[in-house]
Parts: sequence; C-alpha cells; structure tokens
Amino acid sequence: MSSQQVPSSLRDILADILEISPDEVTPELGVGTIDSWDSFRHLQAILAIEGEYGVQFDPARIAELTTVSLIQTELVAKGAAL
Amino acid sequence: MQSDTERQELRRSIKEAAAAHDAAAVLQHARRLLANFSKPADVMFCASTFNGIADDMKDQLRARRLKTYIVRSVTVEPILPFLTTEAVLSNYVLDLQIGGYGSYVDELLNPQSALAKFKPDLVLVLLDLEDISGRLPGYCADGIGEAVEAEINESLARVEQLLKSFRSDSCARILFQGIVVPDTTSLGDVGEANLPHSLGNAVRDLNQRLAALCRTISDCVFFDVDQLAARTGRALWRDTRMFLASRLPVASSSFGTYACGLVRSFSALFRAPRKVLCTDLDNTIWGGVLGEDGPEGIATGSAFPGNCYFEYQRYLKQLSSRGILLAIVSKNNDADVREAFQIRAADLGLTLDNFVATKISWNEKATSIRELAEELSLGLDSFVFVDDNPVECEAIRQQLPEVAVIAVPVEEPWKFVELLAAQPFFDAAVVTGDDINRLNEYKAQAQRAEFANSAGNRDEFLASLEIVCTFLSAVEAPLARSVQLLAKTNQFNLTTRRHSAAEVEAFASGTGCQAVAIRVRDRFGDAGVVGLALARTEGDSCSIDSLLLSCRVIGRGIETALLAHIAENAIRAGANRLVGEFIATKKNAPCADFYVSHGFVPEASSQASSPESVFYQLDLTTSAPTSPAWLTLEGNESNELSASAVVAS
Repeated sequence: MSSQQVPSSLRDILADILEISPDEVTPELGVGTIDSWDSFRHLQAILAIEGEYGVQFDPARIAELTTVSLIQTELVAKGAAL
Repeated sequence: MQSDTERQELRRSIKEAAAAHDAAAVLQHARRLLANFSKPADVMFCASTFNGIADDMKDQLRARRLKTYIVRSVTVEPILPFLTTEAVLSNYVLDLQIGGYGSYVDELLNPQSALAKFKPDLVLVLLDLEDISGRLPGYCADGIGEAVEAEINESLARVEQLLKSFRSDSCARILFQGIVVPDTTSLGDVGEANLPHSLGNAVRDLNQRLAALCRTISDCVFFDVDQLAARTGRALWRDTRMFLASRLPVASSSFGTYACGLVRSFSALFRAPRKVLCTDLDNTIWGGVLGEDGPEGIATGSAFPGNCYFEYQRYLKQLSSRGILLAIVSKNNDADVREAFQIRAADLGLTLDNFVATKISWNEKATSIRELAEELSLGLDSFVFVDDNPVECEAIRQQLPEVAVIAVPVEEPWKFVELLAAQPFFDAAVVTGDDINRLNEYKAQAQRAEFANSAGNRDEFLASLEIVCTFLSAVEAPLARSVQLLAKTNQFNLTTRRHSAAEVEAFASGTGCQAVAIRVRDRFGDAGVVGLALARTEGDSCSIDSLLLSCRVIGRGIETALLAHIAENAIRAGANRLVGEFIATKKNAPCADFYVSHGFVPEASSQASSPESVFYQLDLTTSAPTSPAWLTLEGNESNELSASAVVAS
C-alpha cells in the first residue's frame, strides 16, 4: 500500500489534523485532494510538523508544500529525522 | 519521557470510550494523554474526539454549552483545537463561530451582523495593537511624543463605542483581550525604560485603561494577555515570522498556554469561585511534625526553610482578605496546636482568628470536611483541600470527589504558593463588600447556632435575633452582588436561572417587572445582600422568574418575607394571581415544597415551552402571603409606590 511510503510519525500527525485514518495518508494526498485539507488545516499541519520535528519552514515555501510528499522532501532537506 | 506505546494505548482507550459514548472515560484518558504528551497532534486528536461527543459531555458531565463568537483581526484558526480542548477540561463545550478579519467593527456595531444573528452566550474580542491603536507606535517613536495621550484617549473612545453599542443589543458575556507589550522597539530597552512616552509605557497605560473600561460594562472581563506573554517570555510568545506571514498572534509553542488563559479568564463570567480552603498543618502550614518536633521545633518564620511556609501562610491570609474562608483540617491534639499558635505567634503569618473553623482531631479528614460543609451550610464543591500526605489526598479524592485537592510536595515547600496560584478555583473578576465580610458573618453564624441551643421555642428564638430585612433594587444591591447570587446560589434557588447583569437590569427597568434584593442583619452581624427575586406582571398575573436565598439565612422566615414583598408589588401593579415556578436540580431539593408550603396550588398540566418546570398558583385576592411577625422590614426600593395604593387595592 502506498501509505507505507510515508513515515509513520508524519502519517499520524496528518491523520490527526485532517481527521482521517492513517491509511488514507498517501504521498499524493494534498491541499484540495480532500475536503478537510483547506488552507487553515494546512497552516495547522505545518505548525504541528514544525513542533514535532523541531524545524522552521520559510513562510514563502509554506504555501508551496501542498502534498505529503513535498512536505516530506522539505523535512529531509531541513535535516529532520523522520 | 513516557513511551510511545503508552501514548498509543491512551489514544486507543480514548477512541474506544468515545465509541461507547462514555464521556467521563474519554475525559479521564484525555487528561492523562495531554498531561504526559504535549504533542500538537494529540490536542487535535482530543479536540476532534471531544467535538464528536459534545452531546454526551453535556448530558453525562453536565458540561456547559457556550455559543461562542470570536471577533478578531488576527488568525485564530490554528488555535481553535487548543481552545476546544482547554474548554472541555474546564467542563465547557464551545460551539464556535469565527468572525471575518476585517469586519470586527461592523460585527460589533451592526444589529444585523453575523455576530448579532448568532445570538452568542460569549463573545471573545481578540484584536491587535494595530487595530486598537494603530498610530501609537509612530507617535511613541521619539519617546517624548505629545500626541500619545490624545491617541490613547481616542483609542479608548473607539473601543468604548464598539463594546457599548454591542452591549445595548446583546446580553452575551464579553471577554476583551488586552495588548501584548511590544518586546522590541527602536528606542531599545534603555529608551523604553526612561522615556515618558515610550511604546511600552503607552501600551501598559492603554491596557490599564481598557481594563477600567471593561469594569464599566456589565458581564465583561478584561483578559490580560500581556501577563501570560510576560510569564512565558515575550520573546518566545510571538513568532514574528508567522505573525508577518499569516497574522498569527501567538507562537505555536504557546497555543496551549494562550487557550488555557482565555478559558480561565472567561470562566470568571460563568462560575463562582470556591469558598473554603482547608489546610493541613504538619509539613503544610509549617515544616515538621508538631507532635514530634514540638512548638519550638516546627519550621516557620523568616529563615529558610521556615520562610517557605511563611509565604504559604501569607498567601492564605491574602485569600482570606477577599472572602475565601480558611479552615484547619489536621490530625493533631487540639491543645498542642493552640499552644503552637501562641508560642510561635511571632513566626506565623496567620493567627487562629483567621480561620472560620478548625477540625483538629484524629478523625478521618473526609468526616471533618463533611462536618465543615454542614456547619457552614456550603456544598462540598465549594471546598479546596491542601495536604502534603498523598494518602490523605487520595482518600479525599475518592470519598469526596467534589472537593478540589492539592497535594503539596513535602520536599519542595517553596512550590506551595505557585501550585495554589496555578489553579483557577479562587479566580474572581469582581469582589464585593459581602465577600470581604464573609468571615465575620460565618463566625456570627456559629454564635447564632450556640445561642439557638440555649433559647426556648423557635419563634422566641427568632424574635430574639432582632432580624431586620431591607428591600432594595437588585440593580443597587449592587448589581455585581445580584449577579453573583444568581451565579452561585444552588440550594435555595427555585429556578436556578443564571441571569447576566444585563438581564437583571432588564427586569429592573421593564414595565410591570420587579428585581428585588434583600439585605439581612441581626444582633450578631450583617449578613449583607442574601436574597433576590425577579418577577414580571402581565395583565392580572405575576410570574416569579427567579427567587433565591443564600443558604446561610434559610429557616428564619426571610424567604416568606421576600415572597410577601413580591406579592405586594404585584398587587400594586394590578395582579390578582401569583404564579410560582420550580425547576428541580441536583441541589435544590431544600426548596422543592416552597410554593406548596406558602398556600400555592400546583398547576395540573406542564407548559410545553418549559417541560422541566412545575408551575404553582396563588390567588392574591384571598390568600396573599404575609411576612413573619419576628422580622422588621425596611424598604428603600426605588420603584416603591405609596402605602395608600396598597390600601386601595
């Protein structure tokens, strides 16, 4: 299943915030692909992820991190241990 | 750090309890999850679980539902799950609606706005310095600016107009948030500290004056967010990056603190503070064990570690100054304790006179607290218990779950005050003269009880008390006292309607309406304003909306005097029929037969609009109630008509 590619810590945070099952968190999931992922949930998700991994995103990039896989790539680039 | 397995376990328990609609179990596991793992995702998880069982929390835990509207000029959405969660932990279920960023002026001023249509119970007004006083930073840039004072006045006038205009159309409780003092300005710390019109000085001044403005508006509390920011550290409080990028007023690391502060602050508008603090003695009020160390050996006074206990004693005395009753609940020999208070008087911040009662014996502490509750005529939910012994604390938690328990750490006596201050149960936004007089009044109560034992029959005893009742308008009680009585009277309260100040004012000024307060004094002391009645006459019928009496004066005929007074006013207003209403609660059984015992006849059918109410009728033309002979009545109620009107009717 594709959700296996998403690290479990990231998958669980997104599941909590988007109020969906962890199985539904796939790399392709993103803003607009499900109803609950609107711009405010996006901000909530980014803030929770920052807190969890101890990183800070550049605000100019936040709006561009629109899918699980983009967020994951950015986290890796920031040196976060996933 | 707890293991992730335990975290997952707790989350599973919460899900299962939620699926079974067991609100108490959800809350119990959620408290543990949130206390041990402060992950934002857990807060989101709890918030969404709580939202799913909102009805269960209302039904099973009697959580109070508050329709809450947030008037804002900043981004609050990411904070809402934290607000929902903190509210549930304080037994509120928030039904939230958020206003637009730019529409706060219209929302507050326009009687057709989304805010007005929502008909909220609570409004949170969360604005930024930019909105409240946007020109202030510019005017303060040189630190000596002449225009600063005028700008502050103008800002205040604007806020006053917004709040008063809203208040004129709505009874909702209001929380108005102050401003965080800016952490960094171009004047630097030296200029900020020394120049008269630095931005820091101006904002502090503005906050004080906004708080004063809030005092002039009924049911409005000022939320000092700067105090929270200062405690957290102003540099950490705001994440400038996210404020500039998304107008987020608070850093995500402080969402929990912020939400907790908001809930604690608005709670003062809905809940009365607890009234009694019961303290242990050994290793709590002083260091050491009196029975082993002797009066000279216990630690108290100016030197460490005695001064830790002295700080705690001083804090208790300060609580007592604003009407929180202190009691000693200790396993000790009574004579030893009295000797210790005498011998160590110079080293103690309290005397035995500061306590309303002492329970010094070898009885179970739960028994002692139950006795205290009975002697003071107070519910157990008015009590706080402080003790260092974890076994005693656990015993009280299990046997008297209504009592709030604080277990103080015996090895760290410097933390006692901090621990107590962190708890919301003595929070009060208003202190009245009646609060301050409470200790004397309860002591008089004890004397009265003693006197009753020596007197003969009941009527003689009551006559010998020389009770004087004074009727006054509920608005002049003062109003804050009337609202306080409505908020906290449980036992002798016929309908338990928690009206706001604005609603009491509406009763006082409406045609055919009455809002009467009663003040009681006797030869032992002045009990202050202890009763209230709200009634409305329409046509030939007068309906009693609310009638309540503080339980410490029950049983002296005062409730009858209040009813007779309402009846007299009703007759003057043209009524020939008095309608009483009773809504049963868990606590108001003592007044269940009030109307029947005063000659009222129960109505056969209930009214569809209020199925919980039982209605009673009294024919005023044949059986108007009269006040007991042992009471002396005085009245300076403003809407009183002349005596001849009574004769004529």
